[in-house]
Amino acid sequence: MTDCPDGLMRDQLPEYVHGTLAAAEAARVDGHLEVCAACREEVALLQTVRAVAAHRTPAMDVAAIVAALPAAPVAIRVMTSRPRWTAVRSWQYAAAAVLLLAVSSTTLWRAPRADGPARLADSTQAPARVGASSDTPAVVAVPARATSGMSFGGGLSDLSLDDLQALLIQMDSVKAVPSSDPAPMTPVIATTEGEKSL
Amino acid sequence: MDLALIARWKGGDQRAATELVQRHAQSLARFAASHGGSDGVDELVQDTFVRAFNSLESFRADSSLRTWLFTILKRLMLDRQRAERRQRNQVELDEGHAVQEFDALDGMVADETMGRVHRAMERLSPLQKSVFTLRVTEGMAYADIARVVESTEGACRVHYHNAMRAIKEYLRDD
Repeated sequence: MTDCPDGLMRDQLPEYVHGTLAAAEAARVDGHLEVCAACREEVALLQTVRAVAAHRTPAMDVAAIVAALPAAPVAIRVMTSRPRWTAVRSWQYAAAAVLLLAVSSTTLWRAPRADGPARLADSTQAPARVGASSDTPAVVAVPARATSGMSFGGGLSDLSLDDLQALLIQMDSVKAVPSSDPAPMTPVIATTEGEKSL
Repeated sequence: MDLALIARWKGGDQRAATELVQRHAQSLARFAASHGGSDGVDELVQDTFVRAFNSLESFRADSSLRTWLFTILKRLMLDRQRAERRQRNQVELDEGHAVQEFDALDGMVADETMGRVHRAMERLSPLQKSVFTLRVTEGMAYADIARVVESTEGACRVHYHNAMRAIKEYLRDD
C-alpha cells in the first residue's frame, strides 16, 4: 500500500470517516477517493480500526455511573435544607422581632422629650434624687444634659445636631492611650519652717 | 450542548448528568479499552466521571467537555499503569502470563482482518496509540489531542502519520 502524496487530503480522512466534515469538504474527498486507490485503502483501514475499537469495548452501564456521581448542587441544597420545625421557629423569631420593634416604638413615642427628665442616668453626674414623700413614686431625676465633661445622658436620639457635633469634638479630644512619660512635678518637703520646694 | 447540560446540572437537574454520561461514556470506554483491554474499563470510566463532576465548578469552557474528560481519563490510565508496573515488579510476573493475556484479548477479535489490525495497533508506542486512537476512533482534532496527551499539535500530527505507516507496514509484512 503506497501513501497518497496529498498530505492535506490524508489528514482529512479521519473526519471523513466520522462524517464530521463540512458538505463541501466531504464532496471534495469523495471526488478524490474515486481516483485515489491509496486513500480508498486508507479509508478502509480507518473503518476497520473503528470496528476493532467498537468490538473490544464493553457497553457502559450509564445508570451505574450516574449513581456514583455527586448530586447536583441545587439538589444538595434542597436535601440539606432545614427541617420544617426550624422553619416554624424562624417564623416565631420573626414574629417576636416585629412585636419587640412595636413595643420599642411605642415606648419611645411615649417617652418624654429632651427638655423633660432624662431616661438614662448619667454616671458623671450627681446621684439621683429620689422623691421625698412615700406616696410619690420614685422618679430618677437627673439632668437631661451633661453640663460638663463627656456625657451620653439622655440617649443619642435626644441630642440635637449641635449637641452631637459637640460630643464628637469632645471624643476627638480624648486621649485613648495615656502618655507613658510621667508628668513633671516639683517635690515639696514640709519642715517646721514651712514648706520648701527643692 | 454539553455546556447547556452542565448548566442544567448545576441548576439541580440530575437528568442532565445522565445525558452527559450517555453522550461520552462509550467514547471514553473505547479509548480505555484500546490501551489495556476491557478489564477495568467500566471502573476507569466511572472514576473519570466522578472526578469530573466533583470538579465541574473548575471546568473552563476554553476546551470542550469531551477533551477535558479524555484528559482526566488519560491521567487515570497513567496512574493505573504506574500502579500495575509497581505491582508487577513486586510479584515478578513472568513473560508467559503476558503472552497468555495478549492471546486471550486477541481471541475476542473474531474477524481475521480486525485481528491483524488489532495486533498492529498493539505494537504502537503508548503515545502513538493514544494519538492514533483519538484521531481515528474519536475523530478528534489535533489541537484537542494535544491537550489530552499534553503535547503539541505538530507533534501529534507526526505521531499519527508514523502510527499509520507502522500499521500499514505491519499489515503488509504480516
